[in-house]
Amino acid sequence: MVHFFTFILAHQGDAADPELVHWIKTKLDSLFGTGPWVVVALMGLVIIAIPLFIVAAYLLQGKRRSEEAATSGQVKPEKRVP
Amino acid sequence: MQHTEKTKKPTYYGWYVCAATVFIGFVAIGARNSFGVFVVPMSDEFGWNRFTISIAAALGVLVNGLSQPFMGQIFDRTGGRKLILISLMVLGGATAMLALTFHILFLAFMFGVVASMAQSGPALSNTAALMSRWFKRRRATAISINSAALSLGGMIMVPFSMYLLQATNWRTAWVGLGIVVLLSLPLAYLFIHERPSKKGLYPDGDPEPPTDAAGAPRREVTGPLEVENWRQSFKSAPIWQMAGSYFVCGTTTFVLSVHFIPFAMEDRGISGSTAATIFGYMMGLNIIGALGAGLLADKIGGTKNWLALVYLMRGTAYILLLTIDSVIGLWIFASVAGFSWVATLPLTSSLTADVYGLKALGTISGITFMFHQIGGFSSVLLAGLLFDVTGSYTLPFAIVGALLFPAALSAFTIKERKYSARYQKPVEAAPAAGD
Repeated sequence: MVHFFTFILAHQGDAADPELVHWIKTKLDSLFGTGPWVVVALMGLVIIAIPLFIVAAYLLQGKRRSEEAATSGQVKPEKRVP
Repeated sequence: MQHTEKTKKPTYYGWYVCAATVFIGFVAIGARNSFGVFVVPMSDEFGWNRFTISIAAALGVLVNGLSQPFMGQIFDRTGGRKLILISLMVLGGATAMLALTFHILFLAFMFGVVASMAQSGPALSNTAALMSRWFKRRRATAISINSAALSLGGMIMVPFSMYLLQATNWRTAWVGLGIVVLLSLPLAYLFIHERPSKKGLYPDGDPEPPTDAAGAPRREVTGPLEVENWRQSFKSAPIWQMAGSYFVCGTTTFVLSVHFIPFAMEDRGISGSTAATIFGYMMGLNIIGALGAGLLADKIGGTKNWLALVYLMRGTAYILLLTIDSVIGLWIFASVAGFSWVATLPLTSSLTADVYGLKALGTISGITFMFHQIGGFSSVLLAGLLFDVTGSYTLPFAIVGALLFPAALSAFTIKERKYSARYQKPVEAAPAAGD
């Protein structure tokens, strides 16, 4: 029974295995050598940048989509979204 | 005058859907995997022991595994867009509300039931079904990108939670994680759409399919086993072959997720940090393995052969793990096993879609995923039990490792050319009487 719950806890955080988490933290600490807020800010930026990048890539291709719709003579359904 | 200037084609919209599901999977799995980081501070504040807090986590695993087929059914009936949007709202809200935890029952309900059930909505079994609608020729590639996001989510979100916790406190950190999950909502709202026809497109961004002699559009190519509901699929062999090998996949990955580091430290006598380095290296390789498997299956074909190869590779890795009694052996094992870790996922999902079609894919994928989880669950219990009896991980690792060879055979003997839609010829419309 004890193993059952130990497993659950361990599996709940596959990547959060205590040894692995400690190792990641040590590596990041030596890499940044700064306080936790700096790391939070940097990782937060990475996380926020992903959706922004996707939206930017979509918007930047707006011209191409319009041109293609014009050449194929189709009504561009994508215009509504986003 | 003819206009000859060629303009570059825009990126197929399906790739934006793929990118959105990648981010959704990334934050959803990341928030879930971060639970482990909160165990110590929450236990310290409330005086819970590990056993007590594990009950909430255990409930979460159970609810998450069992709710997948039901969420798959909702996906098949109402569509992915609504399901993913509502699930993300609930998941983000529940994650943030964990900051209000005052009793173990609150944690068990909010994390173990609400958040875990909500996490099944944007789970890979459903996003893979969504990718299968948007992609046909590049189906395995799109699903493999989604699979890789799961690993990435754990690798980035868990350290993020860890530092957020260090910088603030566990209550603020839960709110922060909830906000990160909710960040994916606008992206889901903007880009998740059910199928290419909703955007006036065809799968893979292909041009309009040719018409037959009578001018009617050719019927879409389907496999002979395409089903209307999930029950029909379980009357044929391929689903049992895939679910059976997926069960073995669960047994062989879960057991290592939990017991690899203790094995390396206790059986091989290496330090915890070296063991963690090897495990981290293996987790990094799985991203390459997942992406590579999808690309190869789409480019070269023969998905079941790649699936068999992946199981064979993992089986070989287990043999290496048990026979080379040194740190070098662990590194070699990690190198071989790393590539095979997540690679089964895109291959199994895309093969399921190719054989059984899209109508009940969410439910079928949810059920096969449940097999995977049951395999994982039982193997870890078995490993723990056998370790207590024998004092070593050799026997449990040998047992689960040996299962990989029948799993490889099971995958290899799937009659893909006979049943997969990829290998069927387009059906010409029957000529009208008197033609």
